[in-house]
Amino acid sequence: MEQLVIAGSGPAGLTAAIYAARADLAPLVFEGLTPGGQLTVSYEVENYPGFAEPLSGMELMDRFRKQAERFGARFGPVAIERVARADDVFQIQTSDNPLETKALIIATGAQARRLPVPSEKRFYGRGVSGCATCDGFFFRGKHVLVVGGGNTAMQDAVFLTRFASKVTIVHRRAYLRAAPIEVMKARKSPQIQWMIPWVVEDILGDDVVTGARLWNPDSHERREVQCEGIFVAIGHEPKTEAFKGLVETDEEGFIVVDPGTTQTSVAGVLACGDVCDRNYRQAVVAAGQGCMAAMAVERYLGMRE
Amino acid sequence: MGTVVEVSAGSFQKEVLESDVPVEVDFWAPWCGPCRMVAPIYDKLAEEYDDFKFCKINVDENVEIAQRYGIMSIPMQLFFVDGEKVDGLLGAVPEEMIRSKVEEVVARFPTDERGRLKAILTSWVGHNKQDSGKFRRWTDIANEIKRDAVYRSILEAASEMEKASEGLTQLLKQL
Repeated sequence: MEQLVIAGSGPAGLTAAIYAARADLAPLVFEGLTPGGQLTVSYEVENYPGFAEPLSGMELMDRFRKQAERFGARFGPVAIERVARADDVFQIQTSDNPLETKALIIATGAQARRLPVPSEKRFYGRGVSGCATCDGFFFRGKHVLVVGGGNTAMQDAVFLTRFASKVTIVHRRAYLRAAPIEVMKARKSPQIQWMIPWVVEDILGDDVVTGARLWNPDSHERREVQCEGIFVAIGHEPKTEAFKGLVETDEEGFIVVDPGTTQTSVAGVLACGDVCDRNYRQAVVAAGQGCMAAMAVERYLGMRE
Repeated sequence: MGTVVEVSAGSFQKEVLESDVPVEVDFWAPWCGPCRMVAPIYDKLAEEYDDFKFCKINVDENVEIAQRYGIMSIPMQLFFVDGEKVDGLLGAVPEEMIRSKVEEVVARFPTDERGRLKAILTSWVGHNKQDSGKFRRWTDIANEIKRDAVYRSILEAASEMEKASEGLTQLLKQL
């Protein structure tokens, strides 16, 4: 019987692991399918406090992990498939053997949305990509689209100008929800063009992407654009499949917590990070919530005895 | 075989294309986060398998090889048998998926002597069946040409081939 299982290994999960391990709770961390979380595909993190010099998301998460390891956090098999509750014990099904735990911290974060057009699946990896930092390299001198209007889209577009000759940002609304500083960086680049408001209706090509068909929601005009790559940055969905039925989630799948806390609808289950935070979605906020969750577990387990 | 072999443009021919056993090549780059997830899985598999080779190649340092195989997204894992690409896995897929792909390649391309012979003969016989069918249709249409000596000899040789093919098919059943 485990004391505490932490699902997720982004800033929320790993901070929870640091605090829980230091409190002798011997947490078992399930790293999930993307250890380190969303930050690992971020080329440059310049706004994490304590780091005046920017560093890559991977480097930052490596540091978190090392710190968690230092205090004795353990790392378990990859991902949790399902969690069920039996009184005040939680039964965890994984790809390995099932196990039981007294407390659970859900820090599974969110995953990038795929472009909901018919031929997206066919071209994924053949011109369509969700990771600008991974794949930008293969589009040297080419024209690529970046679909999205948030921070990720702006950052991806700026990053891609290192390789692509031309980057076109495509967003379905004239309004960009990205932070002004990110929008400004993108606007400053002569290589970046803007097609807003336009929607990607379909992707064109044979073996690889050769273009896209765009649709304008205002004028209803349709246009075909030639391009070799399409980078998708249209937001994230919380990863809560494994916890359906265990805790309360809202209509979009985010875990519901008592405002200002990490307490879910079930005692002994805490949630932190992007899996329940739809407002801020910042690493430092996730880390802060991870700490809160670990401290709440400490109190909860103390009261159980 | 032990460990994952780091290959480059210089060693690709020898290590991958001329390998006696099936080879997996992991196309990666140092800046690619998801690539780091896949690497430890292959480290594990390299220790477990004797008749399968696991390699990796840095696309940043070996651009021509990446271009040759049409790599547009990493991590990309390609499988080679007898110098030819036979399968691939795109993205940072979970361990179970990688394992079942490796097992699939092993099943399709046996490395034991008997298994290889069987695979070669099966493809040979299969081809022959296809081609002899096409050939017969052609002769049906071109009946007149039987008068030409070269064509007569070809038709004779072709029927010998068909007999040989039948013989091999029977032998295959015994293998």
